[in-house]
Amino acid sequence: MTTNGERAEEGRPPSSLPAPPRTGDFLGKHRLSAAISRLNQEIQFLEEELNELEAMEPSSSACKEIFLSTEGKPDAFLPITPGPENTAWHRWFQRVRSSHSRKWWMHKGASDVS
Amino acid sequence: MSFPELKERHVAATAKVNSLREQLKQRRHQLLDTDVAKYAKSQGRTAVNFSSTDLVCSRTLQGHTGKVYSLDWTPEKNRIVSASQDGRLIIWNALTSQKTHAIKLPCAWVMTCAFAPNGNSVACGGLDSACSIFNLNSQVDRDGNIPVSRVLTGHKGYVSSCQYVPGQDTRLITSSGDQTCVLWDVTTGQRISIFGGEFPSGHTSDVLSVSINTSNSNMFVSGSCDATARLWDARIASRAIRTYHGHQGDVNAVKFFPDGQRFGTGSDDGTCMLFDMRTGHQLQVYSQQLDNSDQDAPIVTSIAFSISGRLLFAGYSNGDCYVWDTLLAEVVLNLGKLQTSHEGRISCLGLSDDGSALCTGSWDKNLKIWAFGGHRKVI
Repeated sequence: MTTNGERAEEGRPPSSLPAPPRTGDFLGKHRLSAAISRLNQEIQFLEEELNELEAMEPSSSACKEIFLSTEGKPDAFLPITPGPENTAWHRWFQRVRSSHSRKWWMHKGASDVS
Repeated sequence: MSFPELKERHVAATAKVNSLREQLKQRRHQLLDTDVAKYAKSQGRTAVNFSSTDLVCSRTLQGHTGKVYSLDWTPEKNRIVSASQDGRLIIWNALTSQKTHAIKLPCAWVMTCAFAPNGNSVACGGLDSACSIFNLNSQVDRDGNIPVSRVLTGHKGYVSSCQYVPGQDTRLITSSGDQTCVLWDVTTGQRISIFGGEFPSGHTSDVLSVSINTSNSNMFVSGSCDATARLWDARIASRAIRTYHGHQGDVNAVKFFPDGQRFGTGSDDGTCMLFDMRTGHQLQVYSQQLDNSDQDAPIVTSIAFSISGRLLFAGYSNGDCYVWDTLLAEVVLNLGKLQTSHEGRISCLGLSDDGSALCTGSWDKNLKIWAFGGHRKVI
């Protein structure tokens, strides 16, 4: 919403009588009034927010909360994760064990498991 | 009041707004005494350590004949809906790789799709400025197509994103190029509330993304081309609760953090950020230092958190898919550099409901399912 420092309307002929109102002027005034109302509303919101910041705690409180919130939650994507481990996590792979060795294949096609 | 007087007032009000914004920016900066990474390091945390074979592409879902733009999982089972430039929605069983439905859309220019919580319906929207609902159980028409069961009309611009309210099959939120978000009643097709638009606290440019808080479904956050994210209370349409500044470009993606008190963003400026919902603090920036100029920096198209929040998955326009350690703000893996990676831009991604699989969608026309296939230590 940044505007240049606009100067007052130029080009109006100096006249002792006011010019008759034109449609363009009326619409221009109306739009400008609406814009000013919106700006005043925004000023109010911004001042409220500035007041809010006076009593607001710094970011370290939230950082600590985030840190704590990630702890203790089982997460299938982590190499080291708190339990319990959900066996359903393994459904994306199929393990087949032969009698001689432990082999498993990644399942690329259709599966009976659902 | 005369026109010149009004103009003077406008100039003065604009100057006041700019001055207040600058004061806010400075005051906020003073309140940032630390970020998440500095705090985590001070507690002795080190980054998650993946070996290069830990995250595996266990499925490649092929079938779309155009770029994949959007995807969404069902809350239960293993199904995914995807939307593509080919003008179709495909419903997949991600476990079997089978396609259970293929829906040819009345309007081919689709940008977003979503699964209803009960898994019986899907929604999609795009350049038609509408959101179409399809009931997957309905009888197909003569052409073998699932008919549209409801069209949500009212937006004056494209529908960029849609999400059902968690647990509610009758409520949906959309974001639009008309600078608003809308809460819909799907059964009647009516707009319940419009967020933004005429009100000064609304977005001032296209809204690109939306994320509903799973801990409190009354709250949702939106991301916009005006480089901000905004928090809304679905019960209060008249003003945004808070505006989050920090990005230097379009906010393409927003996603709530699992604790429901923070949210992440992804932007055209190439970074992701983590914001505190309540205070508005910018808690962390996730950014790679690049040797070349910022003009070459790939943009972030999509983000998702792992179920604990410890990992942040981010898709980029150059095909990279970084796995960030959320706490340490380090990239711990790049799915885009693996042999099985996509061959084009990652346009969308999402985590399964139990957090065991990540689905990525790409301009290479494919979707891929990624899961942890390494040795897991349970403590």
